[in-house]
Amino acid sequence: MLKDWINKGRLKSPWIVHFDCGSCNGCDIEVLACLTPIYDVERFGIINIGDPKHADVLLVTGTVNHRNKHVLKNIYDQMPSPKAVIAMGACGLSGGVFREAYNVVGGVDKVIPVDVYVRGCPPKPEAIIDGVVHALGKVKAALEAAG
Amino acid sequence: MGKLLLATIAVILAPVIGGLVAGLDRKCTAWLQSRVGPPILQPFYDVFKLLGKSPMMMNPWQILTVWVYLVSSMLTVFLFFLGSDLLLMFFVLTIGAVFFVMGALSTQSPYAQVGAQRELVTMLTYEPLIILVFVSIAMVTGSFKVSEVFTYGKPLLYQLPLMFVVLGYALTIKLRKSPFDISACHHAHQEIVRGVLTEYSGPQLALIEIAHWYDVVFVLGLCALFWATSFWGCAILLVVTYFAELVIDNVTARMTYKWMLKTVWGWGLALSVLNLLWLYAG
Amino acid sequence: MDILVFTTVVLPFLAAIALLLLRDKGSRSLVVVGAAVVLAAASLALVGQGSFEYSPKSLLGISLDGLIMLLDFALLIVILIMAVTKLKSTLVAALTAAQVVGLVYLEFFMGHGPAIAAPAMFADKLSLIMVLVISIVGSLICVYALGYMPEHEEHLHLAKSKQPRFFFFLVAFLGAMNGLVLANNLLWLYFFWEVTTFCSFMLIAHDGDETSVKNATRALWMNMTGGVAFVFALIFMQKSGVGLYLSELLKPGFSAAGAAAVIPLFMLCYAGITKSAQVPFQSWLTGAMVAPTPVSALLHSSTMVKAGVYLVLRLSPAYSGTMLSGMLAMFGAFTFLTTSALAVGQSNAKKVLAYSTIANLGLIIACAGINTPAAITAAIVIIIFHAVSKALMFLCVGTIEQKIHSRDLEDMRGLYMTMPKTTIVALIGVVTMLLPPFGVLLGKWMAIESAAAVKYMPVTIMLALGSGLTVMFWARWAGILLSTPYPKDVPAEPQPSTVRAPLVLLAYGAVLLSLFVPFLYGGLIEPAVRSSHKAAGYIMDSLNFVSAQGIFYIYPLFLVLGVGFYLAWKAARKVNPAECVGPYLCGAQATDDNKAFVSTGRANVGYQAGNFYLSWIFGEDRLSGPINMVSGVLLAVMLGLLLGGVI
Repeated sequence: MLKDWINKGRLKSPWIVHFDCGSCNGCDIEVLACLTPIYDVERFGIINIGDPKHADVLLVTGTVNHRNKHVLKNIYDQMPSPKAVIAMGACGLSGGVFREAYNVVGGVDKVIPVDVYVRGCPPKPEAIIDGVVHALGKVKAALEAAG
Repeated sequence: MGKLLLATIAVILAPVIGGLVAGLDRKCTAWLQSRVGPPILQPFYDVFKLLGKSPMMMNPWQILTVWVYLVSSMLTVFLFFLGSDLLLMFFVLTIGAVFFVMGALSTQSPYAQVGAQRELVTMLTYEPLIILVFVSIAMVTGSFKVSEVFTYGKPLLYQLPLMFVVLGYALTIKLRKSPFDISACHHAHQEIVRGVLTEYSGPQLALIEIAHWYDVVFVLGLCALFWATSFWGCAILLVVTYFAELVIDNVTARMTYKWMLKTVWGWGLALSVLNLLWLYAG
Repeated sequence: MDILVFTTVVLPFLAAIALLLLRDKGSRSLVVVGAAVVLAAASLALVGQGSFEYSPKSLLGISLDGLIMLLDFALLIVILIMAVTKLKSTLVAALTAAQVVGLVYLEFFMGHGPAIAAPAMFADKLSLIMVLVISIVGSLICVYALGYMPEHEEHLHLAKSKQPRFFFFLVAFLGAMNGLVLANNLLWLYFFWEVTTFCSFMLIAHDGDETSVKNATRALWMNMTGGVAFVFALIFMQKSGVGLYLSELLKPGFSAAGAAAVIPLFMLCYAGITKSAQVPFQSWLTGAMVAPTPVSALLHSSTMVKAGVYLVLRLSPAYSGTMLSGMLAMFGAFTFLTTSALAVGQSNAKKVLAYSTIANLGLIIACAGINTPAAITAAIVIIIFHAVSKALMFLCVGTIEQKIHSRDLEDMRGLYMTMPKTTIVALIGVVTMLLPPFGVLLGKWMAIESAAAVKYMPVTIMLALGSGLTVMFWARWAGILLSTPYPKDVPAEPQPSTVRAPLVLLAYGAVLLSLFVPFLYGGLIEPAVRSSHKAAGYIMDSLNFVSAQGIFYIYPLFLVLGVGFYLAWKAARKVNPAECVGPYLCGAQATDDNKAFVSTGRANVGYQAGNFYLSWIFGEDRLSGPINMVSGVLLAVMLGLLLGGVI
C-alpha cells in the first residue's frame, strides 16, 4: 500500500536540479522556458529545486571539462537514490563543437551514468519535457523490474 | 472522552487537510500566474516520493530533531482540538521550532547555518505577535482556553479586528510566503539554496513537510477562532484570509530579515496596542 | 530546632574559618564536602520541621543583637578602610560612610520605641524554599569549585595558592545567605545583606588583576547604594514608630498608612533591585563575570542575586494594591525585555548567561508586582527552577572554557566532538531553561497568564517580546553545540569527579524536579503563596495546573513528549555512518576536507558561518545607554510619585 503510493509519487513528482557545466546558456534558457506559463512543467509535478539533496533528476547542460567534472561528480553523489540523469544539448551529449578542445572531457556520460540524452542545440522545451518523461519511464521500468 | 476522540481524529486528519490546503495553494498560485498548475494531490505525491528516497544526512542529530519537530506539531494540533490552553500550545509549538532550527544548525553547511539564523529571526518576529493575539483573546473571553471561545457567543472579529491582521502577519511568516520567505523559499534560485532545509533530505524532508502541514492546520485553526460562532462565517473567513495570503505572496518580493523584523514588530505592536487600548476603554 | 538553624547559618562560617586555616588540599576537600553534605541534610531536616519562629538571645553568653551590631560596624569599617586605601574610590567610601553615619544615628541617637515581641528569626515556606536552594545548589557548586579552582590557578601561575581565601568567602557566603532568608529582625537582615555584598566584592576581585578589581568596585558601589537605601528605610521606619521587623511590615493594613508606609517599602525594594542587578545596575553583574565560574554560578545566578528578588517577593503582600506594586511590575517587565534583547546581541557565553539571569530576575520582580496569588506562584517557581538550570549552565560554561580556553559561542561549534558528556549536560541545561514541560517554562506560562489576567497591557507586551528574544539566544546556542559531522571516534572525556558529579546531579535535578513539580507545588510552593496572599494561585486537577484562565498539563506532556523523544532518539541511533555525507557546497567541496571549497589553484578555502547577533539593534553599545536612561527615569518617577504622596 505505502509502496504503491511511493511508486506513484516517484512518477508524479520529479524534482530537478539543473547543473550548467559551462554551456553558452542556450540550453539553460530553454530549461527556464519550461517553467514559464507557456509550458508550465509544474503540471507534471516538476519543480526546479536547486539542491541536489532534494532532487530526483539531474539535468546537465554544457561541456564537461577537466575543471568541472569533479563538481558534476560531487553533485551527482549528493543526490539520494533513486535518481536519474539527463544530458542536454549537443555539448552535454558529446562535447559539441568544443569536443576537440584541450580541456574538454567530452559528454556527461564520461563522468556519470546518463539515463536520457536530449539532443538539439539548443533542444526545444517540448524535447526537454519529453526527456523528463522518458527518464520517468525508465524509473518506472526499473521499479517494475524490482517488483 | 468525546473531546479526546475529537482531538485524536483531528491529529489523524490534520495532515490530509494540511496537504490538501498545500495542493489548493499551489493550484491557486498557478491560476494567479495564468498557469495550469499541478494536481491538487501533488503535495502528497511529493511527500510519498520523499519517503521512498534513500536516507542521506550529515549527522544523527538531524534525525532526532525532525522527529521531535513532528511530535511537537502533532501534540499542538491535538491540544488545540482538545480545547486546551492557547499559551501552552504555543510553547509546545516552540519545542518543534527550536528543534528544527537545532537540526539545521547541527549541520556544517553554510547555507543551512544562514537559513537557520534567518529562521530564528522569523521566529523572533512572529512569536511575540502570536502571544499577543492569545492575550487579546483571553482579554475578551476571560480565558486562554480554546473551548471558552466557542462558549463566548459572538465572533471575536468584532472586538479584535486589528489583532486578526496581526495574526495575518504571523500566518504569512509561518506559511513561508513572500515577503517573509527568507529562511527557506519554495523556489530555487535564491542565494542560500534552500536555506534552513538545505541539508534535510528524503525522508527527513517528508517529515518536515508533514509537520509543516500540522502547523498550517494549527495556525488556520487560530484564524478560525475569530469567527467561531457559525460554520459558514468561519469557512468564508478562512477562504478569504488564505486567498489574501496567496495574493500577497504573488505580488510581493522576498525582503530582508532586517526589514521584516522592523516592519512586522512595528506594525504588529502598533496594531496590538491600538486594539488592546480600544478593548480596555470599551 | 536551634541546632538546625545553627547548622544552616553558623556552621558555614565555622567551616569557612577552618578552610582559611587548613591550607592543604586533602583537608580542604574534606571540609567542603563534609560541610556540603551536612548543610544539605540540615536544610532538608529544616523543611521537614515546617515553618517556625525562633528567637536566639545569645551565643556563648554574648547578646546576639549587640554582636550583630558590632559585626555590622566592623564590616563597614573594613570596607571603608579598603575603599580609602586599596580601591581609592571616593564613591564607595562616601556610600559606606553614609551607612555608618546612618547606623550610628539609628542606634544611638534615635528614641527606641516600645520593645516589640517579635522573633528575631522566622521561616515560612518561602524562606524554606530559599534555604533549600541555597544549601543544596550552593553546596554542589562549592564541591564543583574543588575541582575547578586548581585548574584555574594553574593558568594564573600563582606563586602561592589563593584558594583558602577563595573557599573562605565562598562557604561563608552560604551561611550569610541562609541567615538573610531566615532573618525577621531587619537589622540582622541588613547585616547578612552587607556580608553577601562584601563576599561578592571579594570574590569578583579574587584574581586581583586590574579588570577584576575595577568590576568588583563597580559591583560594590552599586550594591552600596542599595545598602544606603536599606539604612534609610530602617531610619524611616524607626521614625514612624514601626518596629524593625519584617513581620511588622507584613501585618495586614500596613500600607493603609499611605505613602509614609510605602516609602520604606520602596527603599527596601530599591535595595533588592540593586542586589538583583536590575537595569540600570546590570553592568555590575555582567562585570562580575570576570570572577571564577563557581562564583558566577553561586553568587551571580542561583543565590545571591536571588536575595534581592526574595526581599521584593517577601514584601509583596505589604505593598499589594499600592501604586508601587504596579510600578514594580512595569520595571521588572522592562528589565526582562531589555536584558533579553542584550543577551541576543552577545557572543560571550558568560555574558549571555548573565543577561539571561537578570532577565529572569526581572520576570520574578514583574510577578511580584502583579501580586496575584498566581503571579507569586510563578515567581517562586522561577526562583527554584532558574537556580538549578542556570547554575548548571554556568558550571558547563566554566568547564568548557577550561577545555577550549574560550567563552565565545562561536568557538563552541561542534563541541560534542571534544566534550560529549559536558555537551549533553549543557543541552539539558538549555532545554530545561527554554522548553515545556520543564519548570522554568511553567513559571513563564504562569507569569504571562497572570499578567494577562489583571489586564496589565504594557507588562504583557513586554513579556511577550522578551519571550521571543529568549528563544532566539537559547536555541542557537543549543544548535551550534551539535554542529558536528557523523560523530565517530568521539574521545572519552576525563573529568575530576568533583566536577563531573555536580554537573550530572544538577542535570538530573533540573529534569527530575520538573517531573515532581506537582508535589513540590503541593508541599512547598502553594503553602508559601497561601501564607502570604491568603489564596492559592492554582488548583491541581489530576496533577495538572489549573487556574481560572487556563491549564498546564504536566504528566500528559511529559508522557507524550518523553515517548516522542525516546522514539526520535531510537531513530537517530539507527543512523548508518555510510548514509552520512558532507555538506552541500555547490559541488565544489574539497575531497579531503568537508569544511572547505576547492578554490583556484586547487587550494582548499574554508568557510565560516556565524550567528546573527543583530548588533545593529541589540548591541550593548546601541542599547545600554537608552536602557539605563529609561530605567533611571522609571526609578526616579517611582520615587517622585511616592514622595509626592508624602509631601
